[in-house]
Amino acid sequence: MAGNFWASSHYQQWLLDRQDLYRERQHDLKILAEEEYQKIMMLFANVIQALGEQLKFRQQVIATATIYFKRFYARNSLKCIDPWLMAPTCAFLASKVEEYGVISNSRLMTTCQNIVKNKFAHAFTGEYPYRIQNVLECEFYLLEMMDCCLIMYHPYRPLVKFCADLNADADLLPTAWRMVNDSLRTDAPLLYPPYLTALACIHLASIVKQKDIKGWCAELSVDNDKVMEITRMLVNLYDMWKTYDEKKEVQVVLAKMPKPSPSRPPSETPSLQDANAQQQQQQQNQQQAQMQA
Amino acid sequence: MQKYEKLEKIGEGTYGTVFKAKNRDTLEIVALKRVRLDDDDEGVPSSALREICLLKELKHKNVVRLHDVVHSERKLTLVFEYCDQDLKKYFDACNGEIDPDTVKSFMCQLLRGIAFCHSNNVLHRDLKPQNLLINKNGELKLADFGLARAFGFPVRFYSAEVVTLWYRPPDVLFGAKMYSTSIDMWSAGCIFAELANAGRPLFPGNDDDDQLKRIFKLLGTPTEDTWPGLSQLPNYRPFPVYHVSTTWQQVAPKLNSKGRDLLQKLLVCYPPDRLSAEDSLQHAYFSDVNPSLK
Repeated sequence: MAGNFWASSHYQQWLLDRQDLYRERQHDLKILAEEEYQKIMMLFANVIQALGEQLKFRQQVIATATIYFKRFYARNSLKCIDPWLMAPTCAFLASKVEEYGVISNSRLMTTCQNIVKNKFAHAFTGEYPYRIQNVLECEFYLLEMMDCCLIMYHPYRPLVKFCADLNADADLLPTAWRMVNDSLRTDAPLLYPPYLTALACIHLASIVKQKDIKGWCAELSVDNDKVMEITRMLVNLYDMWKTYDEKKEVQVVLAKMPKPSPSRPPSETPSLQDANAQQQQQQQNQQQAQMQA
Repeated sequence: MQKYEKLEKIGEGTYGTVFKAKNRDTLEIVALKRVRLDDDDEGVPSSALREICLLKELKHKNVVRLHDVVHSERKLTLVFEYCDQDLKKYFDACNGEIDPDTVKSFMCQLLRGIAFCHSNNVLHRDLKPQNLLINKNGELKLADFGLARAFGFPVRFYSAEVVTLWYRPPDVLFGAKMYSTSIDMWSAGCIFAELANAGRPLFPGNDDDDQLKRIFKLLGTPTEDTWPGLSQLPNYRPFPVYHVSTTWQQVAPKLNSKGRDLLQKLLVCYPPDRLSAEDSLQHAYFSDVNPSLK
C-alpha cells in the first residue's frame, strides 16, 4: 500500500520518540549495556534476513518482518517472548500481510531449524525447540501488541525515486540500497520516517562513492538535523562492525539476555516457557562447558 | 469482550460470523466480526489480516470504519461501525422503485469510496451489493475488504479468482492476471445499472461463458482492433459476433441521458478505456450534486 504516509498508522502510531524508546527499554538496559542490546537486535535481524532469503522473500517483506520484531521489543522486554520464537513469527506474519503468499507451516519450521543449525550454531546450540503451534500463538501476541498496524512504509521506494531525480550514477543506488538494509540494524526504522532514512543513505553513499550531491541536497526542504542523526546511527553501526565478530562474541551477550522467569505461573503460555527453560538450560550447560575448558 | 453485549447474528462473512452488538459503556451499536482461528492451520487467516491491515489505514466516510480489534483467548473480534443493511437487502425492500436522486446519491458515494481506496493504492476486488452497507442516514460504505489488496510495485500476478461472477469484468473472465483499478470500475458500472433498475442485476450469468455472452450481447464482441492483446489472454476463446440490438435506453430506462453516458463509459470491455473513479465523479451526471457531498 503506497498510500498517504502522513495518514498511515506507521506515521501516526509507530514513529516513536527517542526518549520513550529508551524508557521502555530501561528494564533490559539494567541488565544489558546499550551496545549489547543492539547486538542482540542485530543478531535477530540477521536471523530474519537469513530466513527470508531462504524462503525467497523480497527484501521488502524481510524489512517488514524485521520492523515487526523491533516494534514488539520496543514495547516489551526481551524476556516477554523468546526472540528465537519471535523472529520466525515476524517472518510468517509479514509474508501473509505482504501477500508473498502463505508459506506452509512445515516449510517455515524446517527452514527455521536449518537456519538455526547451519548458520547460527554460534548463537544457538541444540535443537530448535519451537513448533508451529508456538508460532501461531506468538503471532496473536504480536498482532495485539502492534495494535494490528501491519502496513509498513520502507525507504526503498523513496530511495529509488530520489536516485532517479538525482540522476545518480548507476553505482550510487546499490550502495545506498545496502545501507537501507543496514539501517534495519539500528533504531532508525522506529524513530524516523522512511524517506529521511533514504536521504541519509544517499548522503552516506555519496560520501563513500565520492559523488558531489550538495547542490541537489540544498534544494530539498527536509529536516537536515534528522538526516544527520540517521547518518550518525549508520556510522556508529559501521564503527561497531569494524571490531565486532558476531560469531565469536554473540554467545556471551546472549547469555546475559533477560529470559522469561521460570516462576511465572504455568498457566501462562506454558509451551513457550518450557521451550525457553530448555534453551536456558542448554545455554547454561554450554557456558559451564566453556568455563571448564 | 465484556465491553460488548451481543444482540443478534447478522450474517456469515468471508471468514467468520457477524453479530450486531452494543457497547455497554457508550451504548453505541456496532457490528462484531468474529475471526475463526483454526489450530494447526495458517494462524490468523490472510483474508482477515488483509481486511484488518487495510481498514486500519483507510479512514473515509464511504469506507466502513474498523473501530477496534479485540484479542481474547484464541479469538479475534473485529469491531465495525454498524450499518442497518446492505444494498442487496435495500433492493429487496424497495419494491422495484428507487427514486433517481437516491440512485445518484448512492452512486456518487460508491465512487467516492472507490476513489479514496484507489488513491491509497488499494483495490477492493469484490464490489457487489452485498458488500455495500447502507445506514439509516442513507450513507453508503464499502465493506468486506477480505479480498482487497494493496497494489504498487512490483506488479505481480494476482489471483484470477476474484470478484463475484456477475460483477466480474471480461478481462478477468478471460483469465487476465494483471489488473488494476479498472476491475473495481467495471463492478461499479454493473452496480450503477442495478441501482437504476431498482435491484435487477445487469449481467446475471450462470457461468463464465454465459457471463461473457451476456456482456458481449450488450456491448458487442470485442476484437483485436477494439481490444489490443485480447487473444493473448490466458483463457481467451473466440465468441460469436453478436448483433447488438439492445439500446442503452432499454438497459436503464429510468436513467437520464447523462447517467446513461456515465454508465457506458464504465462498462467498457477494454480495461484501459474504462473511466476512473476520480474522472467519474467529474462527470456531468453529478453536476447537480451538492459539492460539499462530493
